[in-house]
Amino acid sequence: MKFADALKTARAEPPAGAQPLSIALVCGCTADVLQTFLTAHLRRVFPDRRVTVETGLYGDCLGNLQRASQSAHLGIAVVVEWADLDARLGLRQTGGWSPNDLPDILATLDARAAHFEAAVQTAAASTPVAVCLPTLPLPPVAFTPGWTASNFETRLRSRLQFAALRLSDSPNVGLVSAQRLDHLSPPAGRLNVKSDLLSGFPYQTTHASAVAEMLAALLRPPAPKKGLITDLDDTLWRGLLGEVGADGVSWNLDRRSHAHGLYQQMLQSLADAGVLIAVASKNGPLRVEEALRRPDLLLKPDRLFPVEANWGPKSESIGRILRAWNVGADSVVFIDDSPLELAEVKAAHPGLEAVLFPKNDDQAVYDLLWRLRDLFGKSALRAEDHIRRDSLRRAAEAPAADPDAFLRGMDGEIVVAADAAAPDPRALELVNKTNQFNLNGRRFSEGEWRSYLHRPGGFLYVVAYKDKFGPLGKIAVIAGRRDGAVLLVDTWVMSCRAFSRRIEHQCVRLLFDRFPVEEIAFDYRPTDRNGPCQDFFAALLGGAPSDVPRLTRDLFASECPPLFHRVKVIDHG
Amino acid sequence: MDNFRDRLSSCFSTVFPDLSAEEIPLASMASVGKWDSLATITLLTVIEEEFDLQIPPDDLEQFASFDLILDYLEGRCAHVS
Repeated sequence: MKFADALKTARAEPPAGAQPLSIALVCGCTADVLQTFLTAHLRRVFPDRRVTVETGLYGDCLGNLQRASQSAHLGIAVVVEWADLDARLGLRQTGGWSPNDLPDILATLDARAAHFEAAVQTAAASTPVAVCLPTLPLPPVAFTPGWTASNFETRLRSRLQFAALRLSDSPNVGLVSAQRLDHLSPPAGRLNVKSDLLSGFPYQTTHASAVAEMLAALLRPPAPKKGLITDLDDTLWRGLLGEVGADGVSWNLDRRSHAHGLYQQMLQSLADAGVLIAVASKNGPLRVEEALRRPDLLLKPDRLFPVEANWGPKSESIGRILRAWNVGADSVVFIDDSPLELAEVKAAHPGLEAVLFPKNDDQAVYDLLWRLRDLFGKSALRAEDHIRRDSLRRAAEAPAADPDAFLRGMDGEIVVAADAAAPDPRALELVNKTNQFNLNGRRFSEGEWRSYLHRPGGFLYVVAYKDKFGPLGKIAVIAGRRDGAVLLVDTWVMSCRAFSRRIEHQCVRLLFDRFPVEEIAFDYRPTDRNGPCQDFFAALLGGAPSDVPRLTRDLFASECPPLFHRVKVIDHG
Repeated sequence: MDNFRDRLSSCFSTVFPDLSAEEIPLASMASVGKWDSLATITLLTVIEEEFDLQIPPDDLEQFASFDLILDYLEGRCAHVS
């Protein structure tokens, strides 16, 4: 982003009624340019919010961090430079670069790095913190020539790396990736000596934009995609199955088709991280089965569900896959080597992300692997990530039967964790990625979520489910607050994997059991995607829900279908 | 050189969004209340980006009005060509 564009974006009027969003920018340099870029990039990731970025005092990065952690911000972006750790490592102070000074510089950096680390940990206890560790080249402090990684420089960097290592293990702390920043902003083009000496801002604008972009992404990561549908021929492997047979397709160095092996390896990695992987291929099903049985396949066939191998239009295969997964097209990526197939699928499923597999271009395949990491990347893996595919497969294979008899025989158990004080991180993840059974589509940043849960009278229930077919893990979140005789539910989501089990009814019964109220109000708002939620209310209320549908205890008792789950409630608070 | 004038006007419009198109050619540090030292640095950054050039700190003394900056940029351009 150019600086002029950042100025315009940062100053643009937000939409009418936009909620405020305050972020602290902590740095020791003159903050204006970085503040402008961070505001602009945050405006892009929070388009419906009135973003403000507050800065601190020049030259007091650590103090600014300590002050920011005591203020009410929904996130803190920290930009530390060498000069913040020892002023002699910057250009605006002339404290000495004598060899005699080097031990003292190391000692100062040690102490300052420890203070920064402690201050970040303190801030992260209440607010999400995104940290960018020094990105500028070191000045020529050491007595060694520039091509030598001196003992001094190596010690400096290693001490900082240990601090980074500890921070990377901390919940609520995100670190800017040095590798990605190198890609966006090559190190040789970062330092602006003139600007540093003239105004105390040491970055080229291109570097400031890259740093701000990554900090904004850490404070508001995009929702990861849920599923990947892959073609087979000249995509998962090189060669056409129908021409060369199962033994003729390849993904190895000898046949110069190793890029397909890397792609398989990536898909296996994604599958093991909970991403749904399916196949849509124009091939005979028997040939595909034979090829998928090859023992040297790097993507294990049990990770693939469903496998659609037929001669019909791929858009129809993909329609069936989406129904089996019960996810929307906009949560899914389709990869194929044929632009024609991509166009046909995209026309039928416009929300789906259609990506060309760049066959015969190894560099482009490598770039694709990184793109997939970005599309599907998560900050942490949870137990639910490992059971999603198997539960979907079981649901697809379950026989149709009388619903009551079927549900009674499932031996369903619901475990409800009631804890708004120390919420499970899975709860926010569910709220931010669930589209279909979602009361109003509201999304939260981590900071907003914490503030939301600390409202007076607030409650949070995280619902886990299992039955004789296996566990689904934590699949629903219901939250709101009690205000006198009124119970207001303003957050309610349930994973699409948990549909058709009447868990949503059990959630409402739970609320009536735990709160002595005669009526529950739901902050329901229709979205493009929350039809299942609307259907639930319509069935209970006998028609389309109003703006804030209200459900009385008597009406629920009369309309609720039979429930067969065993329910356990665990109160953590 | 009209193109220079238009591009410089665009820079001024970005840094001083409250100025009208008629006010920009008349703008100076004396006449624009928001034109302080920080705004000068912001203007410098936007102009360097727009015209793809590096302006030495000593030349900032000429950054006191729209006309002076335009003269400076035209001079730099003539010098380069």
